[in-house]
Amino acid sequence: MKRLSSILLWPINTSEKLAERVLFSYRKLLLVGFLIATLFFTWQASQIRPDASFVKMIPAQHPFVENYMRYKDDLAGLGNSIRVVVAAKNGDIFSAEFQSTLKSVTDELFFIPGVDRSALKSIWTPNVRWTEVTEDGFVGGPVIPAKYDGSKESLELVRTNILRSGQVGILVGNDFRSAMVQVPLFDKDPETGEKLDYKEFSALLEKLVRDKYSSENISIHITGFAKIVGDLIDGAVEVALFFAIAFVVTMVLLYLYSGSVMGTIIPLICSLAAVIWQLGVLNLLGYGIDPYSMLVPFLVFAIAVSHGVQIVNTITLESATNGADKLQAAKHAFKTIYIPGLTALISDGIGFITLMVIEIQVIQDLAVAASIGVAVIILTNLMLLPLLMSYFGVGRNAITKAKKGIEKKDSHWHLLSVFATQKGAIVAVVIAICLAVLGIYGSKGLQIGDLDVGAPELREDSRYNLDNSFITANYSTSSDVFVVMVSTPKEHCSRYETLALVDRFQFYLRNVSGVQSSISLVDVSERVTAGLNEGSLKWRSVIRNQYVINASLSYVPAGLMNSSCSLLPVIIFLDDHKAETLKAVTVAVDGFVAQYETDTIKFNMAAGKAGFEAATNEVIEMAQYEMLIWVYSVVSFLCLLTFRSLRTVVCIIAPLILTSILCQALMAKLGIGVKVATLPVIALGVGIGVDYGIYIYSKMQTYLQKGHSLAEAYLETLQSTGKSVAFTGLTLAIGVVLWTFSPIKFQADMGVLLTFMFIWNMLGALILLPAIARLLHPKINE
Amino acid sequence: MSKITFSYSVVFGCFLALSQCVLADRLVQSAIQQAAPEKSLLLTISRAGKRLVAGGEQGVIIYSGDRALTWKQAEVPTSTLITSLNFFDKQTGWAVGHDGVILGTKDGGLSWQKRLDGAVINQLRVDALETEFNYQNSLGAVDADLLENLGYQLDDAKIAVEEGPSSPLLDIIFLDSLTGYAVGAYGLFLKTNDGGLSWVYEGYKLPNPDSLHLNRVIQTQAGHLLILGEAGLLIESLDNGGSWHKVELPYQGSLFSAVEADSLYLMGLRGTVLKRTRDELGSTVWNKIDIGSTATINDAIVVDDIAYLVGQGGALLQKQGEAFVPFQKRGLRSYSAVESVGQYLIVVGEGGVSRIDLNGGTD
Repeated sequence: MKRLSSILLWPINTSEKLAERVLFSYRKLLLVGFLIATLFFTWQASQIRPDASFVKMIPAQHPFVENYMRYKDDLAGLGNSIRVVVAAKNGDIFSAEFQSTLKSVTDELFFIPGVDRSALKSIWTPNVRWTEVTEDGFVGGPVIPAKYDGSKESLELVRTNILRSGQVGILVGNDFRSAMVQVPLFDKDPETGEKLDYKEFSALLEKLVRDKYSSENISIHITGFAKIVGDLIDGAVEVALFFAIAFVVTMVLLYLYSGSVMGTIIPLICSLAAVIWQLGVLNLLGYGIDPYSMLVPFLVFAIAVSHGVQIVNTITLESATNGADKLQAAKHAFKTIYIPGLTALISDGIGFITLMVIEIQVIQDLAVAASIGVAVIILTNLMLLPLLMSYFGVGRNAITKAKKGIEKKDSHWHLLSVFATQKGAIVAVVIAICLAVLGIYGSKGLQIGDLDVGAPELREDSRYNLDNSFITANYSTSSDVFVVMVSTPKEHCSRYETLALVDRFQFYLRNVSGVQSSISLVDVSERVTAGLNEGSLKWRSVIRNQYVINASLSYVPAGLMNSSCSLLPVIIFLDDHKAETLKAVTVAVDGFVAQYETDTIKFNMAAGKAGFEAATNEVIEMAQYEMLIWVYSVVSFLCLLTFRSLRTVVCIIAPLILTSILCQALMAKLGIGVKVATLPVIALGVGIGVDYGIYIYSKMQTYLQKGHSLAEAYLETLQSTGKSVAFTGLTLAIGVVLWTFSPIKFQADMGVLLTFMFIWNMLGALILLPAIARLLHPKINE
Repeated sequence: MSKITFSYSVVFGCFLALSQCVLADRLVQSAIQQAAPEKSLLLTISRAGKRLVAGGEQGVIIYSGDRALTWKQAEVPTSTLITSLNFFDKQTGWAVGHDGVILGTKDGGLSWQKRLDGAVINQLRVDALETEFNYQNSLGAVDADLLENLGYQLDDAKIAVEEGPSSPLLDIIFLDSLTGYAVGAYGLFLKTNDGGLSWVYEGYKLPNPDSLHLNRVIQTQAGHLLILGEAGLLIESLDNGGSWHKVELPYQGSLFSAVEADSLYLMGLRGTVLKRTRDELGSTVWNKIDIGSTATINDAIVVDDIAYLVGQGGALLQKQGEAFVPFQKRGLRSYSAVESVGQYLIVVGEGGVSRIDLNGGTD
């Protein structure tokens, strides 16, 4: 073990001496180098663009998503579409004014770039028709009659046509007080090949539709993935304000803590540099910033500050106790902090990298961004910071203050050192075990996936979710859509065999709890067949005669079959998107497939919002434990290498495990599910949480090696670094606690959980770590 | 005939044996058991003694012993759309549906067996038409038109064999325990004389040269048989089906249902109701009654001497004097058939079963 660790740690140990020599021999040259690099990265970082794409938020390697990608071009509007509802605040939709607004909105949407114009639908588009049977045969036409002139008579005709078209609850609200425009979107413009710019699209919607047509008589409601992403990007920009607040608060605290102007400004500048470098590198590598990776700069800043504090603290103590000058103090601090600092940062980075096991692009991007962040902290805060301090020092005031502190040998730290005594240790560990048991019990209710209605990314009272509940209340089609793509050989999608099997499939699905209804080509064929037979319900069936079927499918609404007739989607509307519901649907579909699927007719899951959520849930459920195992193994291994003792590893890791358990219980209590946004929290929490343990234990070890008893060593540790560890917890918590106020729900969730983890990890390191050490090393320097 | 049944099931049996290669057919797939089968699309309802039995999509047949409060799903060996069912007595009942399915029950509707399907019917039709064609041909004094028409029908029948069992049956009636008739699309008309053990095709015996759909067959209180069809087709038999003649109507649309209240009423498309009366000379006339609705009436019933009509778009009308007026609240979805039990009308249709209290209130 010793041999292995000395081999593995050789680069760190050697680099320490090398780095020290290089760093302090070429100070000016290096400072110029850092300055140039910072200017370059500032320029790069200013180029970084908000970026959010549909595909990145879903697990690309999951079979559901692979199936969707394969058939994407054939699924008009099922992957990505928005719904715009024009509602009359007074009266109903049968007024000339309302209809002219609806027509204008339809036209306006038609011309917004990115819209799949051929599939755009409202009662004003010619692809929405009514049909009726009379003694003379089958008649039909567009809902808005050709001779429409806004007169009372023509409005009456519109009313009749709407009733005959069967669009009540689909394109017209159930209460006739609103009407919908369905707007399918292209992910990529088929002509220019350009990716849909969600931010711009969403802004255009606001400008050209909502702002322009909202009035005292008309309200506009918009839902759909593109709008969610647009709102997310807008919300994420607001988060930038939080950064400013976090910066100022951290500054004040730093000054109160260090009592030194330079000891405040320099860590802040270096930490800011870390953020700038991180963003610059991201841009250089071609990454944008999405609502998830938006949070990484906060973390990087907080981590950077926390390491900066350790260095400033060490410099101050060195100056105060040994009277070292600026340069010597800086050198000493560098030597003291370099190894634990590097180890801590490397474990942070590797902790983040374990997020790569989750095959969802946004999480992987977050992992990359965070890892780059901690990597640059090594340069900015472990190297640049002591370098700058070697010129400026901490200042006389701070040193005087520190001296007083040391002489006082105070006070409240004695309280904590109780936990390094036998009795205190037992009490602490017993309490911890009780908490762990309670935590495990409490986390029983923890669920996978999103638990709230509407768009869970946004807050319940956000405009988007209000719009969404308006639409849910007034229309019959739920927004939780799960699509099964039935594939057949070419020209077989409308064959009797196919339709009969799909018919059975849809009937079978009705038994699945959570399924509201479903619709497919079969429904069209059945309804039109009945229509062709004078509307008689006794003909509402798939007819075993291809000519009859073909006649029934002479007009098929867009999106129910593809042009080569090899694909027919079955669109399933669900009650909600709870993990349970989604699971029930996938299990049911699998059951049907096992029993009925043939070589030629395949039932492929899944597209639609709920389909992707089902895929995401499956990935997250699997990755959840895999990720925990990885992050704990890696962090434990690093600690083992550094301290070469299994007991030490237990001392450092056990408090983290307790925090992870309590965090899960907290999630269950707060109704936060394990989802794309919250899964990374534990890896981030553990990765960063281990820092405290590493700093405290390495300090304590030096005192133990000097022959102090555990209690003494611990008290010494608390007096020298306890304050800075507590301060670190505080700065980290400040960095994330503000997210709680984010308009984006998942950022708020992450904020709550990370704040909790940072503070509990700190307490764990300060209380539980010495207690466990006491019990595991009964004979140490007794 | 039984040979054909055999070969037909052999074909599917073979497919089943090769399992993965070809899917099973709805003629041999049992109806899927539903958690809430009473919410299915239901087209027909009838009474077996005190028990209510209803049928509809995907071979769903349900029964209720507690006045339609709770329902159970029967065992049905096919999953085609059931269009009509009725009971001869408390135990014996018949159901017909798409793909020419005839089902029978002997336990009051709890379980059903397949008695006939469209593949057999197609062959029965060819056999019957061939025999008739040869017979007419052999008579010497040949009616050229009749023979030509039989020839056409025979050609159609042969094509139908190729196309498979695609014609739906739409109604069935048993006059006694042995004699029964089934009617269906494209002039399909079957008769049994042995309680459904064997069937013969007798479509050519009806005055229906254009093979119009036959929607309904009923027996009047006077014992006459009426077949209601497409394009104003009304065919009557005064001798239990021995001979059939066409009744001329002042209406060219489809007829779906008939009911006898103070007189005989025929119901057709878009709110058409015809009432049979006699003029001063004693000959039959048909008067169009304005019911104030354009909904197609699908079924009707008389309860305590009052007629009720149900139809498309949730139409529900009550006869008051000479007029029909809307009764209670109009439903949201189409009604297909109606039955009564106690003080309730039990209506089935698009949304499944509705229970309407004649003394007011729906649940």
